[in-house]
Amino acid sequence: MPKPGNLATVAYWLVALAALGAAAAMLAFYTPTEQTMGPIQKIFYLHMPAAVNTLLCGAVVFVASLGFLWRRNLWWDDLASAAATVAVLLGLIVLATGMIWAHQAWGVWWTWSPRLTFTLILWLLYVVYVLVRPAIESRDRRALVCAVYGLVAFLDVPLVYLSARLIPQDIHPASIGLDGSMKLTLAVWFVPVTLIACGLVAARYRRNRRERIDEASRAGQGGAGMGG
Amino acid sequence: MSRVIRQIAILTLKDLRIEARGRQTLGLVAVLGVLIIAVLGLGLNRQVGGVDATAILWVAYLFAGVLSFEKTMAVEREDAALAGLLMAPVDRGVLYVAKLLSNLALMAALAAVITPVAILFFGFDLSAAPLGFAAVMAISMVGFAAVGTLFAAATASTRLQGGLLAMLVFPISLPLVIASTQLLVSMFRDGEPLGGLALGVLVAFDAVFLVVSWLVFECVLEP
Repeated sequence: MPKPGNLATVAYWLVALAALGAAAAMLAFYTPTEQTMGPIQKIFYLHMPAAVNTLLCGAVVFVASLGFLWRRNLWWDDLASAAATVAVLLGLIVLATGMIWAHQAWGVWWTWSPRLTFTLILWLLYVVYVLVRPAIESRDRRALVCAVYGLVAFLDVPLVYLSARLIPQDIHPASIGLDGSMKLTLAVWFVPVTLIACGLVAARYRRNRRERIDEASRAGQGGAGMGG
Repeated sequence: MSRVIRQIAILTLKDLRIEARGRQTLGLVAVLGVLIIAVLGLGLNRQVGGVDATAILWVAYLFAGVLSFEKTMAVEREDAALAGLLMAPVDRGVLYVAKLLSNLALMAALAAVITPVAILFFGFDLSAAPLGFAAVMAISMVGFAAVGTLFAAATASTRLQGGLLAMLVFPISLPLVIASTQLLVSMFRDGEPLGGLALGVLVAFDAVFLVVSWLVFECVLEP
């Protein structure tokens, strides 16, 4: 007999996958093909929600980092680390779809356009967060350094955005107008992407927390006091 | 107020005196900076000149800067000097400001060595706006040192020091690199005056991270 918590998780993922399927079907059969970009334009419906969710994950890292610095409770760190991992994954999707877009629109895979530059630096900020973690041995010190970094990194995001806008553009961005049905598709695509992002953060958080409690109980301290 | 200023002065002068007596950091990082400029100059093989040299200058500043931030913090690790400092009746914010000032003094000395070398190697003509160049670099260094001082303190007690600090500080400092290089290009190549969005980004970076680092520094100091 599975536990009710597990059933809820399974139900959540079924809903998220169903939403993804519905959004994909809508993209294939309902949304019109854009004239200048052709079918490649359709990656935009994944690109944009993924970009917004990357920023949301960054915001979760920020809040959890503040929470850790304020309360010094390690479960804030579990949450920050989970959100940072998902931000890296989503950032990779944004970067990849952005590069495909650049290839279609301008014939090059990479160009230092403000938007691609911003995406790259945003992604790097959270890649560093994830990569630095295992390099710090002490559990508390790792949480502390990462909390400070998570805080500073999110405050850096608007500065990165503004500074990327300074880069001179030698190519014209292929700006496309979205008609009503395209806007509807975009709105629909936010549902599965956001659901999947939240589900991944929750799953990752539970794993981080379980690992930490296991580690603490192996070390003989017992996980009870640190569970939060 | 005057007590705080005196405390800051004592702490900063202590760091600078240690550096003046030992001369461990400055010589090392200055040579590293010159080496970086030489390697890039040789590698780029005269394809880069003029105001483009600021990007190369930044690479040297970033690496040499991170190394000196690490060194000034490592001084406190020896003989449990930090534990003594933390026991002294001094506000942690004062400790941060003092560390930041000694790092800035070190960066200024470093820049005084590296910048002329880069100007010489890459034929960068400063005469159009020497004060503007100095102002842009000074504003950028304040932001860079603000972040660097905070993370140097945060990572000081971890075992993996070398690459760790650079990894944390470099991506955070990228807005400084982009804004200051764009600003210098517009000043030297297009002859525009100092100002605009780029200057705004630099000043905003300094303001945000000076305040945040000052507030957070208290949490990261542990003997």
